[in-house]
Amino acid sequence: MSQEEDHNDDTALAGEYVLNLLEDDERAAFEARLVAEAALRDRVREWDESLVDLTDGISPVPPPPMVKDRLQATLFPETIRRKRSLWTWLAGSIAAAIIVGFVVLMPSLLQETAYEPTLTASVAAEDGTLVVAAQFIAETKALELVRETGDARPGRVLELWLIAEGSDAPMSLGVLPDDAETRFTLSLDVAQQLTNGVLAISDEPPGGSPTGAPTGDVLAIGPVTSL
Amino acid sequence: MRVSLGDREAFSLLYDATSAKLFGVCLRVLNDRAEAEDTLQEVFVKVWHKADQYKANGYSPMTWLITLTRNTAIDRLRSKKAVNVDIADVHDLSDAAPTPEADAIASSERQRLNNCLNELDADRSDAVRRAYLDGDSYKDLAARYDVPLNTMRTWLRRSLLTLKDCLSR
Repeated sequence: MSQEEDHNDDTALAGEYVLNLLEDDERAAFEARLVAEAALRDRVREWDESLVDLTDGISPVPPPPMVKDRLQATLFPETIRRKRSLWTWLAGSIAAAIIVGFVVLMPSLLQETAYEPTLTASVAAEDGTLVVAAQFIAETKALELVRETGDARPGRVLELWLIAEGSDAPMSLGVLPDDAETRFTLSLDVAQQLTNGVLAISDEPPGGSPTGAPTGDVLAIGPVTSL
Repeated sequence: MRVSLGDREAFSLLYDATSAKLFGVCLRVLNDRAEAEDTLQEVFVKVWHKADQYKANGYSPMTWLITLTRNTAIDRLRSKKAVNVDIADVHDLSDAAPTPEADAIASSERQRLNNCLNELDADRSDAVRRAYLDGDSYKDLAARYDVPLNTMRTWLRRSLLTLKDCLSR
């Protein structure tokens, strides 16, 4: 087969895999290749990301409270505290709905402004390699940002996103400039969506995401907390 | 500098924020409330145990959760079908179900898949939807469209390639 035929074959095969159409033996063979081939894993992820839109029209239905009770009884039969795991991060990036807070003090910014900030966030990488402190001044609708640690990757930029409460589609707030300190003035509409939202920073090509949605790695996230 | 939450609190928040959408997906695939409840529980048990895999795989969070949910529901549906042999019953059920995805009001980005599916013949886009949302196998689809299994597979693979072309335009 030519290279293009191989490529097409894998594209179709990955689609069949995602649609659960492969027979058991084909599926097992495909999964064995997945372990070894990153390009194939990318194809699968692309199909998953595309086809998941088929669920867009499915309305949310609150499950009965009993399901959560049962789940917690299954997972946490005792009260021993488990070690922190990565999905605290996952929860933070989705559960914009209700986030219990933390407070970050940014003395330098506080001194500069006549108004008191009403909202704050620490947008941080899990490993601490990128930390951007944010605070919002309601009176001026200014979102003040201080990049405390970390930098954009070479030839790339950092783009700031807001995931509003109850939404899973990030909204771009803009590309962070090279300066460590900057200020974005938000529209009233965006400002109103900050409360209980989550800020995130993604790795993007120069000029920011070409699609209106994050295209690169999500490098840092942090919930917006009321002061 | 991080969210100061215990794991369990975070898990509880995650559940509160996402369980309604995921339960909706379970109901759509399984068409059975008790099965959907069991599946939802199974999904969150997996989330608790697999969260570390999530970080490495590059999926957007909601895609990862919905995909995990859809796959878990399809697995359950398939095992139910295996017991129930009579596939037609399951089809009748899903035919009778409303198709809320038809009234979806999606952003232009989200419309892309729909637009691309609409470029396919109705039967062919329908087959993709049935495989994804109803867990139809090639055998189910071949019976539905009354074509030999191999023909069905050739069709569907071609549809996938057309779809992929359209999506990457």
